[in-house]
Amino acid sequence: MDVISTHRLTRFYGKRIGIREVDLHVPEGCLFGFLGPNGAGKTTTIRILMGFLRASSGEARIFGRDCHRESRRIKEDVGYIPGDLRLYPWLTGHLLLDLAGKIRRRSLEAPGRELAEELELDLDLKASSMSRGTRQKLGLLLALVHRPRLVILDEPTSGLDPLMQKVLARRLRMLADAGHTVLFSSHSLAEVEQLCHRVAIVRDGGLVADESLESLRKRARRRVDLVFDSGAAASIDPPSLLDVVERNGTRWTCNLTGEIHELLSWAAAQPLADIAIRPPDLETLFYRYYGEERSGP
Amino acid sequence: MMRGLLAKTVREVWVATLLIGLGLLAVERVLLFILPQIQGQVGALMESLPFLKVILKGLFGVDPEGQLSSQLFQALVWVHPVVLSLIWAHEILLCTRLPAGEIDRGTIDILLGLPVSRRFVFLAESVVWILSGAVVIGLGSVGYFWGAASLEEDLRPATSRVLLVLANLGCLYVAVGGVAFLVSALSNRRGKAVGVVFGLLLASFLLNFLCQMWEPARPFAFLGVLDYYQPGKILEAGTIPFRSAATLLGVGGLCWMGGLEVFARRSICTA
Repeated sequence: MDVISTHRLTRFYGKRIGIREVDLHVPEGCLFGFLGPNGAGKTTTIRILMGFLRASSGEARIFGRDCHRESRRIKEDVGYIPGDLRLYPWLTGHLLLDLAGKIRRRSLEAPGRELAEELELDLDLKASSMSRGTRQKLGLLLALVHRPRLVILDEPTSGLDPLMQKVLARRLRMLADAGHTVLFSSHSLAEVEQLCHRVAIVRDGGLVADESLESLRKRARRRVDLVFDSGAAASIDPPSLLDVVERNGTRWTCNLTGEIHELLSWAAAQPLADIAIRPPDLETLFYRYYGEERSGP
Repeated sequence: MMRGLLAKTVREVWVATLLIGLGLLAVERVLLFILPQIQGQVGALMESLPFLKVILKGLFGVDPEGQLSSQLFQALVWVHPVVLSLIWAHEILLCTRLPAGEIDRGTIDILLGLPVSRRFVFLAESVVWILSGAVVIGLGSVGYFWGAASLEEDLRPATSRVLLVLANLGCLYVAVGGVAFLVSALSNRRGKAVGVVFGLLLASFLLNFLCQMWEPARPFAFLGVLDYYQPGKILEAGTIPFRSAATLLGVGGLCWMGGLEVFARRSICTA
């Protein structure tokens, strides 16, 4: 069953397009990465899902309910952290747990203390005197403390140190293992690649990919570095299975477009001093989706 | 749910409410100390400066023909610009918090990320607006009755008439707050909402005086909010002008409902 589903979801800001015809399906128990550069439409999609924005056309559903009309019911089972987190200056962890507890009609003090300990968060500190990273932890506390069925995180790691990013990743994996669903928006491929089962890539307001990391890896090309014996490189024509990205004297950097065994057969007949075949390069694939081909990391 | 929302709103506004209420208490007390002492001088001034009579007519809502009666003079403590400014400042402060203030400071994402309906959030703000208004006007009344206690019996208006003035003031409070909520619901910036409401009040205040001084403006007097707030008339006649009170409540109620619907349906953009 899809926890999140959108159908031809479109949103205009005046004449400017925010997202267009986005069809998104997030299955239950999935750690779903939502990837795209700044301004691609990730936050617009999330804000429609949260009921903040009305769609210009199309529909958005969470747990099968309409995201705008039934927003309150939906949010009983949703934890959310906005991309640009702003907190009330007077808010402390204790006050936040009290406020959220009153609104959710259950005590969140005990699970809140446990989560705060994990996040190394001082519950007595006021938001006005917190660093950006600490405020982010408070936001995560609010999003995760009630163990929601669906967690929507809009670039949640901004401001978090690598240690805390690991703690968050562990907590999210635990949630997903327990059948909860996570929509994890990010512009960083590395964190989505490490964490998520499935990824949707959004560019210029449209969805350009929605598939499992596994199948993306299969489609991603391997990067091949070839070093020829001195003087030999100039007289060699690259085979059709290699797309040469860069030539630097005796060194070629290529994308493998054919099969490995074909490459090995071809390489065996060449005057090579060295060859390196790297794992499937997701980054190049993503940059292609972003429309900004780069030659390598 | 409501308890949590009310607690959050009260936490944010109680200091300002208390300070403005205490300020109003002090102003009322001071006015009642000063006014009886200058009543005679104002009467003499009115004879030599007809312009002053026009200003007082604009404030009282009735024409102070000849000498000012002590009843009418007491009305000044309820229409004094400082008194109205304090009450309106409190209203503008409260009624532009949601959604304009919350969007402006970016906290609305946290608020609406919780399982709350927008209508409930608006309602919680409105409950606090009414209750804190009662506190502010109540503290002002304490200042008034404290000061009135030191007046001679024949100078002191009947308590029942003062209560009617307070009821009219309450209607004015509802009207201004309702408009402020509607303006706030249509805004993304609190500064803009405050500016618009302040501008409307200032224009209304000035229109009220303009109508006393300039004949062609009189047909537009009904547009001024002070046209419906008449403490002078109430203190003299001892009855509340029901039509004016109903107009204020009607305008306030309609604008409030408009604000509620706009907020419930609008898109929230914080960027």
